[in-house]
Amino acid sequence: MSGGGSAQEAEIPVGITLPARTGRANSPLAQGLYRLGRSTTALIGAAIVIVLIVVAGFADVLAPGSPTANAPAHTFERPSWDHPLGTDQLGRDMLSRVIYGSRVSLIVGVSSVLLALLLGVPLGLVAGYYGGRVDTAVMRVMDIILAFPIYLLAIILMVMFTPTAGLLGTMKVTGAIAIVRIPIYARLVRGSVLSIKEKEYIEACHALGVRDHWILFGHVLPNCLAPIIVTTTLGIATSIIVEATLSFLGLGTQPPTPSWGWDLKANLAFIQDNPWLSLFPGLAIFFTVLGFNLFGDGLRDALDPRLK
Amino acid sequence: MRVYVLKRLIEIVPTVLAITFVVFVMMRSIPGDPVVALLGDGYTEEDAVRVRAEYGLDKPLIVQYGIWLAKLARGDWGRSILSGRPVLQDVVIRLPVTIELIVLSMGVALAISIPAAIIGALRQNTWADYTATTVAMIGVSIPEFFIGVLLLLVFSIGLGGLLPSSGWVYLPGTCPSMVCGVSIWGNMQHVLMPAFALGVARAALLTRILRASMLEVVRTEYVTTARAKGLSERPVVLKHALKNALIPTVTVMGLQVGFLIGGAIVVETLFAMPGLGTFGIDAIIARDYQQVQGFALITAIAFVVINLLVDLTYTFLDPRIRYA
Repeated sequence: MSGGGSAQEAEIPVGITLPARTGRANSPLAQGLYRLGRSTTALIGAAIVIVLIVVAGFADVLAPGSPTANAPAHTFERPSWDHPLGTDQLGRDMLSRVIYGSRVSLIVGVSSVLLALLLGVPLGLVAGYYGGRVDTAVMRVMDIILAFPIYLLAIILMVMFTPTAGLLGTMKVTGAIAIVRIPIYARLVRGSVLSIKEKEYIEACHALGVRDHWILFGHVLPNCLAPIIVTTTLGIATSIIVEATLSFLGLGTQPPTPSWGWDLKANLAFIQDNPWLSLFPGLAIFFTVLGFNLFGDGLRDALDPRLK
Repeated sequence: MRVYVLKRLIEIVPTVLAITFVVFVMMRSIPGDPVVALLGDGYTEEDAVRVRAEYGLDKPLIVQYGIWLAKLARGDWGRSILSGRPVLQDVVIRLPVTIELIVLSMGVALAISIPAAIIGALRQNTWADYTATTVAMIGVSIPEFFIGVLLLLVFSIGLGGLLPSSGWVYLPGTCPSMVCGVSIWGNMQHVLMPAFALGVARAALLTRILRASMLEVVRTEYVTTARAKGLSERPVVLKHALKNALIPTVTVMGLQVGFLIGGAIVVETLFAMPGLGTFGIDAIIARDYQQVQGFALITAIAFVVINLLVDLTYTFLDPRIRYA
């Protein structure tokens, strides 16, 4: 049980050797994928994430009603067959709101990380590869962003962008979270590049006259993918928490667009008599973050057993 | 060592300047300004111009920042545009509340994570370990405010108002005015849930990190040696293993400071505490420039000083680490 330590690997009974070593899967990627498939945590995480994607994608079909339609005659209804999660102070169906709320969380969580990757990875590649003044200039800017307590920067950015509803509002939150997360990827990639660029195969590329951009994207980047993939998955979990927190503070996507953090906060005023109104959006945030965390953990154990 | 600390303290200056300057520029690039909010709806443009001039808001940005810095050098943090109160006075009143919250929450975090991680690592792959790792996994996936809401549901609503859901009772000696409630017992009742909400989230993360590093340390040769020379389990675990395993944990604690400040804002908002977190978020939303500058300044200083303390903790945990 080499590389053990996570609770899941330990569930494999002692005495059964892992067939990964018998040569069926030899490339590091195939081995990693194989380990990923054997990890209970990763599979549970992946299942949660897939359910979430389906719910967000097919919200129109799955939701029993409109998340924004007011029904003054049906305010504060307790959970029932008609409204499995009850209704809020405007009579809106909470199940529909929770289902549609997954869109904002998922879109912001995934796209803010992708945006941060898109900007951070090239910056890290260039800074690490060219070194010198380029490196100093890029990393100073990154250091300034990193010198900020993350929430201070995110909150001020959101006030600057003026939070709004709908897709535009979602994009603003995405942008604010992406900006505070760029340095994480830039630093990570720069660190990997610094060690990779000294390797013989990169020297060989230089000797063969391969162009810089091809060396960077064809040879250096693929070799620092493993930590990037792991950080990305766990980063989505963090981004979803940051989004929920901003919404909770009233600085996320604005109503009427359904957002879990906002719903939780808005319904706190009625928590005494209607606790489920805050409970369900909170549970939705929890399971979503749990899903990405479990999957990210499994991925880390599978792709890079050294990082534990 | 003394030289190192001095050097690091001097290095704080550019970081704090950078943070406060960026905040300064960002706040002033937000559309609209606090003067309009101050004057209300029925203001005339002449009033606005006069008030802007009074607060120096008509000058170029860099000049305004220079004025702010110059005043700061004389110990003047400026006055709130909206309330007219000195910013420093508000910060001094609110700081103890937030410090109490953060210190207690770190205490909660350590009190949970150290035993949990030790049990997890020493009894690896037993039910105790599974419980510790599962609970920790759940803990890192719950945002602070939801932990707070769950605590509210149980202790304020479920158990018939066992703990107060909002407000604050000051510790003796920290009361800012004549009218606030002062009592140690009342203070404990008010701080318990916020400190747990903030601490449990940290505890989960620390347990994961500490368990992983304990697992590595207990397999090292010096731990085997300590056991072989007949030391009982207690000193082996606490003195030999734990102390070394704490190094990565302390690093992570340092990296968490940014999140801790955010957590304080959220938890103070949820429990309506009169701390720096609520001060900051209210100031930012109201665009009270002077208050925001004060908040940015105190957060930046806290952020940098805590990171320095983290680095100094290394020398205690591992005497081989010396800062020349």
